[in-house]
Amino acid sequence: MQRLLILSVLLGAVLGKEDFVGHQVLRISVADEAQVQKVKELEDLEHLQLDFWRGPAQPGSPIDVRVPFPSIQAVKIFLEAHGIEYTIMIEDVQSLLDKEQEQMLAFQARASSTDNFNYATYHSLEEIYDFIDLLVAENPKLVSKLQIGSSYEGRPLYVLKFSTGGKNRPAIWIDTGIHSREWVTQASGVWFAKKIVQDYGQDPAITAVLDSLDIFLEIVTNPDGFAYTHSTNRLWRKTRSRTSGSLCVGADPNRNWDAGFGLAGASSSPCSETYHGKSANSEVEVKSIVDFVKDHGNIKAFISIHSYSQLLLYPYGYKKAAVADQKELDEVAKSAVAALTSLYGTKFQYGSIYTTIYQASGSSIDWAYNQGIKYSFSFELRDTGSNGFLLPASQIIPTAEETWLALQTILEYTLNHPY
Amino acid sequence: MQPRRPPPPAPGPPRPAAPLLALPLLLLAVQGAAAPAGPEAAEWRPDTGPPHGLLRQAARAALHFLNFRAGSPSALRVLAAVQEGRARINAKKECTVDLVFTTERYNSEEGEESLGKCSARVFFRNRKPRPAVNVTCARLMEKTKRQQEDYRLYKQMKQLRNPLDGVSIPDSHGHIDPSLRPVWELAFLGSSYVMWEKTTRFLHYYMAQLSGVKQWETNDGAIDFDYTVLLHEFSTQEIIPCRIHLVWSPGKPLTVKYHCQELLAPEDASGTEEGSAVAPTELSNF
Repeated sequence: MQRLLILSVLLGAVLGKEDFVGHQVLRISVADEAQVQKVKELEDLEHLQLDFWRGPAQPGSPIDVRVPFPSIQAVKIFLEAHGIEYTIMIEDVQSLLDKEQEQMLAFQARASSTDNFNYATYHSLEEIYDFIDLLVAENPKLVSKLQIGSSYEGRPLYVLKFSTGGKNRPAIWIDTGIHSREWVTQASGVWFAKKIVQDYGQDPAITAVLDSLDIFLEIVTNPDGFAYTHSTNRLWRKTRSRTSGSLCVGADPNRNWDAGFGLAGASSSPCSETYHGKSANSEVEVKSIVDFVKDHGNIKAFISIHSYSQLLLYPYGYKKAAVADQKELDEVAKSAVAALTSLYGTKFQYGSIYTTIYQASGSSIDWAYNQGIKYSFSFELRDTGSNGFLLPASQIIPTAEETWLALQTILEYTLNHPY
Repeated sequence: MQPRRPPPPAPGPPRPAAPLLALPLLLLAVQGAAAPAGPEAAEWRPDTGPPHGLLRQAARAALHFLNFRAGSPSALRVLAAVQEGRARINAKKECTVDLVFTTERYNSEEGEESLGKCSARVFFRNRKPRPAVNVTCARLMEKTKRQQEDYRLYKQMKQLRNPLDGVSIPDSHGHIDPSLRPVWELAFLGSSYVMWEKTTRFLHYYMAQLSGVKQWETNDGAIDFDYTVLLHEFSTQEIIPCRIHLVWSPGKPLTVKYHCQELLAPEDASGTEEGSAVAPTELSNF
C-alpha cells in the first residue's frame, strides 16, 4: 500500500510539483449495490479532484480514495448523509511522504552503485561485501568474485579477480586487512578495487598490466576479526579461533605461515597478540590463501598490506640473512617508495622485515618468497604513531592514492620482468 | 637555548646519575681489557653506523621525556627525522646513544613550518626501562604564545561537561570532537611520562586510545584528571591499559600517578606496574 502511495503521489509531485499537505486517504465500506452507485456518483464530480486508488466495484470490496484538502468536508458530509461507512486510512499524505522520503534516503546511504559509495569513510563488513557485489555487477567482463574458503566463524572469504581473459595467466596477489584493527588497509583495498576498474582502458600502465596479468585482491582477509573490531573491540588484531585449554581467543594470522614457523619472532602463548597458532596454517584464513596460491601455481607477486609505520618491506622476517634477490627487491622497493612519496611527501622507509621493523616468524611474504614468488612485499601504511590504528577517515583516500602509486610500480615491474 | 637539565628525581629505582658518570670509566676499562667475543662489545665502526632502529628508539625516548618535562599540553612534539647519531654499547649490554633529530608540533597548524632541532644523549640499561635522557631542543614555540595556549586549553577543560563516561577518544573512525581535543592533549602529556618510564632498548609505545575518562574534578583551580589510556607496544603488538591520574595547572609542575596492566609478564615484571613523578620546577641539585 505504502509503495503505491509513493509511486502514484510522487509521480504527481514530480510532474505537477504538487504537495499533499492535508490530503487524506479514506477507506469506504459499501454495504450494498445502492451505496456502490452513490460512490460512483462521487467519482463523476470532477471538481472534487478525487483520486481513487481502489475504485468502486461491489459490496464488500473496500474503496480507497485520496481526497484533496479542499474537498474533505464535502466528501465526508456526502458519505455520512447517505449512511456510508468510512475510516481515515492516512491522516496527512504529505507527512507520510516526508517520512518515507527520509527512509528512502537512509536506504540510499547504502550505496546503489560503486559511484555513489563513500570511499572517505570506514565501512562495516556487510557494506564492503555489498560493494564487492556491486563492483562485479557493474564490471562483469573484468571482475569476478571467488570464495576461497570460510573463516573460523563461518564468514565467506572473498577474493576479487581482475582479468581480461587468458587461461591461468601469471598473476599478482594483494591482501588487505589480515590484521583486523588496521582499518585503513581494508578501506584502501576497496579504493584499489574501484581504481582498477576505473583505470583499465584509460590509464596505459594498468591497462598493459591487465592485458597480460591477472590481479587477485582479498579486501577483508580476516572477516571474523574485522566484525569483532566493529562490534566489541576496535583494537582486535588476530583471528577469532578458539584454542583448547586456553581462555584466550585468536592467533596472529601473520605468524601462522609455514616459514620459520614457531621460531623467535612469534609467541607460543595463546593470549599474546603474536601467538603463532597451534601449527603452521592452523588458521583457516591462512590455509585458504595457501591452497589458493598453490593451486593457481602462477602467482608472480605477493603483496600483504598492513598499518601502521610507513614502511615497505621484503623478506625475510624470520631470520637476518638476506634473500638471494635482495639487491633487486631493494631496488624495486626504492622506486616504489619514491613513487609513493611523490604524491604527498609521505616518508617511507624500506628494507627487509628483520632489519627494518623486527624479527617476525611465520609471516606471509616469507612463505610466498620461499614458494618461489620473487616479488613479495609487505606494506605498513600511515601513520607513524600519532593516530596509529585509529587513522582519521579523512586520510583514507590520500593514503590509498599514494599507496596505489607504489603498487603500480611493483605491478609494472612484475609485468616487465617475467620469470 | 634551554639550559641542560639532568633527569628529574622520582621515587622507585635509583636514578642512573652515578652510572652515567661511571660509564666512560667503564668503557675505558672494557677497551683496555682483552677484546671480548662478538661485535657488540666495541664501539660501532663509523662506516656501518648503529642500527637505524636504535637511533629512532633513542629519539622516541628523548621525546617522551621532553614532553613530560616541558609540562605543556599545547607544546607537545613528535619526531620528524633522525639526522645523525652514534652509539656505544658496553659489556653489560648497556647502550649510550648520542643523536640529533628534528621535531614538529603534535598539533601543527596549517602552514606551520617549524622543525625544532634537538640533540640528546640517551642511556639504555639493556632490557631495563626508564632510559636516562639528557635532551636539549631549540625552542619550537615562543614562550608567551605557549603560556597563552596552555591557559586556553585549561579554560576549555574546565568548561567541559564532566564526567565523560563511556566516551572513547578518538572514536573508531579516528575522529576527535574539537571540544574534546584538550582532553586528548592533556592525556597525551600524562601518557608521555608513562611511555618514557616503560621504554627500554627494545620496547616502545604509542598512545592508541583513551578508553575512559573516569573521574575528573577541578580542585584548587588545578585540573585533576583520571583516565584510562590504551598504549600500543610496538615490538610485541600488545595493547596495554593504563590508569593514569594527573594533576595539572598551566605553568605549574605536572604530577602523574599510574597503574598499568601487564597482560604478558615480560622478563622481570610481576603483573602490574606502578609509578609516579613530579616534574621539577627548577634545576635540581644533582
